Amino acid sequence: MSADVPSARKTFAAGMSNESFLTVFMIGVLVVLFAVACLFVPNFYLLQNIINLFANYWFVIILGIGVTFLLITGNFDMSVGGVVAMTGVLAVYFCQGYNVSQNALANGLGLPYGAAVALALVGALGIGAINAFFIARLRVPSIIVTLGTMMIARGIAQVVTRGAQRNTSLPDVFGVVGNTFIPGTSIKVAVLIMIVLVAAAFLVEKKTVAGRRTYLIGANAVAARLSGVKVGRHLALLYMVSALLAGITGILLASEFKAGLSGRATGYEFDALVIALLGGVSIAGGFGSVLGMFVGAIILAVVTSSATGLLLSPDWQFTLKGIVTFLAILAQRFALDKRKG
Amino acid sequence: MSQTENVLEIRDLVKDFPAVRAVNHVSFDIKRNTIHCLVGENGAGKSTLIKILTGATPRSSGKIVLNGREFTPHSPKEAKQKGISTLFQELNVVDQLTVAENLTLGMEDTRFGFLRRTDKIAAMVDVMNSLEPSIHPKMLVSSLSVARKQIVEIAKAVASESDIIIMDEPTAAISEGEIARLFKIVKALREKNVTVIYISHRLDEIFELGDFVTVMRDGRHIDTKPVSEIRDRSELIHMMIGKTVFEQYTPKQEACKDPILRVRNLSNHKLHDISFDVHEGEIVGFYGLVGAGKTELARAIYGADAHEGEITFKDRRLPASPDKAIEAGIALVPEERRSQGLFTILTIRGNVPVMNMKKISRGGFVNASQERAVTQQYIDKLRIATSSTEKEASKLSGGNQQKVVFSKCLFADADLLMLDEPTRGIDVGAKSEIYGIVRRLSEEGKSIMIFSSELHEIMNICDTIYLLFDGHLKSSLRNGCDIDNEKILHIVTGGEVTGGDLTGAETT
Repeated sequence: MSADVPSARKTFAAGMSNESFLTVFMIGVLVVLFAVACLFVPNFYLLQNIINLFANYWFVIILGIGVTFLLITGNFDMSVGGVVAMTGVLAVYFCQGYNVSQNALANGLGLPYGAAVALALVGALGIGAINAFFIARLRVPSIIVTLGTMMIARGIAQVVTRGAQRNTSLPDVFGVVGNTFIPGTSIKVAVLIMIVLVAAAFLVEKKTVAGRRTYLIGANAVAARLSGVKVGRHLALLYMVSALLAGITGILLASEFKAGLSGRATGYEFDALVIALLGGVSIAGGFGSVLGMFVGAIILAVVTSSATGLLLSPDWQFTLKGIVTFLAILAQRFALDKRKG
Repeated sequence: MSQTENVLEIRDLVKDFPAVRAVNHVSFDIKRNTIHCLVGENGAGKSTLIKILTGATPRSSGKIVLNGREFTPHSPKEAKQKGISTLFQELNVVDQLTVAENLTLGMEDTRFGFLRRTDKIAAMVDVMNSLEPSIHPKMLVSSLSVARKQIVEIAKAVASESDIIIMDEPTAAISEGEIARLFKIVKALREKNVTVIYISHRLDEIFELGDFVTVMRDGRHIDTKPVSEIRDRSELIHMMIGKTVFEQYTPKQEACKDPILRVRNLSNHKLHDISFDVHEGEIVGFYGLVGAGKTELARAIYGADAHEGEITFKDRRLPASPDKAIEAGIALVPEERRSQGLFTILTIRGNVPVMNMKKISRGGFVNASQERAVTQQYIDKLRIATSSTEKEASKLSGGNQQKVVFSKCLFADADLLMLDEPTRGIDVGAKSEIYGIVRRLSEEGKSIMIFSSELHEIMNICDTIYLLFDGHLKSSLRNGCDIDNEKILHIVTGGEVTGGDLTGAETT
């Protein structure tokens, strides 16, 4: 029988968990895509371009962290895009000078920068708390609740900006954090923050009891409760963290442009979801990883930027993302089934 | 239809999985219009054999002859068309439809995509009426009990002219009264030109129901013979496992120990004013039929369901939530292994330590080597059959899955273990291992509560037995003295309790 003398390749694959297998598989997909892009797109292989792949996607990756953890528990967070816009707009509004102009959109509360940022983040946590209350306490399906808070958060951003943006009478300090570069490079501090957050999330996921709980809830919420996991409390915590991460993203983006836009981060909740799924996170819960999500983000970055490099009209971006998502997820299913069979 | 004597002939059937030969050169015949029982421990190859017969999985080699013709189903649908229907444990009925709609589901007569009323429905309803007149075709299936849903499925199989109906543990989830009715129907199927292949772990059923029995062990066919030629249970068990494991309860030396758990006037939607004590090192059994409130009692004590009344554990009032119960020293092995006890998509390592993560972590960080060591320790201790700690729990057999759930609870360092149907659906060998573990724990001074609908199991290991009926605690008995099976069955089926039976629980 073949099982008595397994080939070397077989033992290598069999020794991995499904999760590691998928991550390695998606890295393989990424390498192939990258090689193809290098063949067709001029200068795609340049270091600067590779750096840009990371640098231009930092915000979606930060959002993806919270979305991935929640997806692993079997829940959605569709509110993150709205929270980014709301937090950015609020931070600007709190920080703008008080009664300095005839133009209503130029007047704010005149709070000091630190206080403005802190208050805006409290606003983000408020959205997280609404999510937590309805999902963890009242057990309303997360997709419904977070679609609701997505619209509430964006609605607040629109009311505060009257559907446009606030960008005047801001102190200089407001634009610092989003426009500081790591010395000697063209990499923004925000990218560094993203990398630190991803590393921290990876550690939490793999090494901590909280990480284990996340998987237990996703694998079987009933058994988790009967095994002593405080399911509601853990979900509430994750929704708060996800909202906080979205809030931080909102502050960083508002700082980068020195403006609060009501339409900022439109559709980012879907991008965050897509990169998590591309990275092999199961929509049914209990399976996936932050590292996979990160790989998923780079895959999406390679595809969209190579499309731009090939002078494909930006109108095609959505269609292209859709096709890539389909293909990648089909490939994953195929690879996992092969492995099982 | 050709009327050969054997409805099914299995010849030299083999099924190989990547690491194991699940069915190993199996040959036997099944005679027409008989009830043919299939027994064997979990992992003996019964399920694989059934999967091949129903077209759910292809065979590796061998031959199957159905009605004198070679039979190679490629899908369950094809198997059904050729005459083999299956009654799985997870029933195939649609709750939101009526009985009549369920009967014709997938076989509706249509014109331009619209449903038509035809004689077919009437014919099917007739078949069902002949089996069980009390089920009305207009009833919603969701309003039927599990047993009655089974009857709907059986009627559907009979009406679609199946030659063979395979029944996989049909009595696992239904009450004793309903079992009697099911048996009557199964026996009546012989006259309707139907052969039944009957799989069950409850050996008494084989003797009551079977015409023939086939025993499998380790993928091999051990023997097929008329049930009348088998002497008794222990002979059958002997064939199944190759050694005798029948154990008998030996009364313990009674030492008056302190009560560790005191339950007073516990009530909720299902329970009525229940009071009792559990002492240190005592094994307490709760026996009752399905629906008597055993699971509800376990869940109420554990804090998983709302309740009124007073529960004191180690002289302190027990707060009502599972995490608090675990902290206080109580662990529950839940009724439904796969949906309530086990994280099937996680590894054994992902399952074993979850009820006591503090023990393998520091400052919130998990100690990975400790985690593996602990898992390996329980794999060895409970003899879980696996190649490594990293095996997915879903890939283990039922008995080994239950051992993983046990490991979880043992690792919680509980002083009181509550076991809800601890041996349901697992094989005889694993059962006796689990009884061994329970006895050992009791000797170590742990208290154990067993909630079971198998009297045999309760009588085997419990020191004190409480009888439940319809949410009421009816009677308390000490095992080893004045145990009368007939009387017990009388009480748990709703009979009057005569005499001062409630001696063990001094209600306050």
